[in-house]
Amino acid sequence: MTEPAHWGSIPYIVVGLYLLMLLVFGYLGYRRSVSNEEDYYLAGRSQGWTVTSLTIMATFFSSFALLGAPGMVYRDGVVFALFSLNVPVAGAAIYIIGSRIRRIGREKGYVTPADMIADYYGSRAGLRLLVALIGILYAVPYVVIQIQAGGILAQQLFPGAAAFENGAVVLALVTMLYIMVGGMRSVAWTDVVQGLLLVGGMLLAGVAVVAVLGGPSSFFKAIAALPPKSLSVPGTTGRWTPEMLFTASVFASLGSMIQPAQWMRFYAARSGAVLRRSALIFSVVLTACFFFGVMLVGLGGQAAYPLVDGAGQYRMDEMGRVLPHAAVGSKASEFDQVLVVILKNHLPELLGPFGVVLAALILVAIMAAAMSTADSNLHALSALLTHDVYDQFVRPQASQVERTWVGRAIIALVTVLALGLVLWGRRSAHNPLGMIVILGLLAIAFSTQLLPLTIDMLFVRRGTRVGAIWGVVTGLVIIFFLSPFFSMMAGDTFKDVLTSMKGMIDVGAWGLGGNVVVFVGVSVWTREKGGLEGGVA
Amino acid sequence: MDRKTVRPLSILLTGLFLLAMFMGSGPGLRLINPDPNDVNAAFTTWGLPTIYLWGLCWYAVQITVILVAYFKLWDGEGGDHD
Repeated sequence: MTEPAHWGSIPYIVVGLYLLMLLVFGYLGYRRSVSNEEDYYLAGRSQGWTVTSLTIMATFFSSFALLGAPGMVYRDGVVFALFSLNVPVAGAAIYIIGSRIRRIGREKGYVTPADMIADYYGSRAGLRLLVALIGILYAVPYVVIQIQAGGILAQQLFPGAAAFENGAVVLALVTMLYIMVGGMRSVAWTDVVQGLLLVGGMLLAGVAVVAVLGGPSSFFKAIAALPPKSLSVPGTTGRWTPEMLFTASVFASLGSMIQPAQWMRFYAARSGAVLRRSALIFSVVLTACFFFGVMLVGLGGQAAYPLVDGAGQYRMDEMGRVLPHAAVGSKASEFDQVLVVILKNHLPELLGPFGVVLAALILVAIMAAAMSTADSNLHALSALLTHDVYDQFVRPQASQVERTWVGRAIIALVTVLALGLVLWGRRSAHNPLGMIVILGLLAIAFSTQLLPLTIDMLFVRRGTRVGAIWGVVTGLVIIFFLSPFFSMMAGDTFKDVLTSMKGMIDVGAWGLGGNVVVFVGVSVWTREKGGLEGGVA
Repeated sequence: MDRKTVRPLSILLTGLFLLAMFMGSGPGLRLINPDPNDVNAAFTTWGLPTIYLWGLCWYAVQITVILVAYFKLWDGEGGDHD
């Protein structure tokens, strides 16, 4: 086994070059910037297809793509590889939803999602604040998780007791610096570098694992010999029933595509043709990266580090949860270390110094995935708090320069808070970050609640302001009841019903169902009462 | 393309795309899913896990739909050619 301490200076050089490149791109973005909100948040609505497609990809894929997805395949088997089919749905949404959002946003000068929704439904405060709240519920956990991923990777790449803390601090500060300096232009340009690294890293990871197992023929022979549960639905733990997989695939993709950071990327595109081409590239390239890259890592992981012992029995913890192989982790939450463990333990042995470079590059790709999602969400969060709260309710008379500086201050504040939470969680005996990861999975469910409004606003045009507000509130309340927070507060109240609901379909789908029913019902009722309650006039 | 051609094509492509989702990562999986408790069940087809191969087929359908829409329907501004 090759430990990072024996990799020499290669990881330092690779990571150092990567971080330097980010800072250079951040500076170049700053050189091109103009001090106003439209430029800081939307890069002057001038982005071409290369930047747009890569920044959308880099924002879509977080460390979940390179750590979480292979980890889930490692745990549950080939069934989770089919989750890849959510990517073309997201790709189609880039064009079908994104190009309409771009066109209307440009015509009316919108900066945030709340601008469009609040204006359309004629709700100055209620809907604007609700949409901003959804954005915050989505963005905050994502930033925390990405900073945490930086720490985990540093721990694998570099020796030393404080490697986790150093990694988290460096990732957070470098990200904060280039967003503060150059705004959307710097975020998008660094996303280009990070998007290329991400795509390359996903494919390289798959190739590396196939190579580790002796080539394609040996790889698929080893896969064919996996336990039956790993090769069938609903997988090892029984979680991924077809209904769960279907709803998670559909709503995860749509929820991720209408979250604030992506919405602002649609505004920032130069033309509809840019989004048309981005949709095609996204659908073809990213799905292939999933199917032929990271998903093979999880399957190869099951072959290299089996979940079952010689007698075919799964290792379980005291709560009856399946455990990873001892070389991968000792807890049920450590499946997602499988890629890092394979790279660390096999690639340098297999390929020598070239293997070390390759492993370091893939680990940097994971870092790129984390940073590109953290920067987009920090930047969007800054827009939500500055444009939708500060500009509207605190100091409407603020100048463009003041607004930009408030945005920068918010980025610094949120970064420091998120970093503090990660470092505090690391030292806490109660592991609150485990809860934040769960909150991260809930984040998509929250952003999915914007879907009914978005569809109505762009296509149907029959909803009312009151219907929209009550629909969103209903969706958020349902998700809260199905979240771990309700169980923590209410104990075993409704436990059987809630557990059964969560086992049937995705949490976001339950919220969306309630949202749609209330939105349609209240809209019909308020229309019949004679009030064209905004938006439909 | 004229409106008479666009509308049936849009409906066909939308139907195919939804079918691909339903079959590839949805309840359609039950059609080919091998029973893990059946000792005689075959879990691979042509050397690949059967459900992985099934997913790849529906990925091909999704991409075909998007390619046809890209070249025949999408006009660059969120509407269709007319």
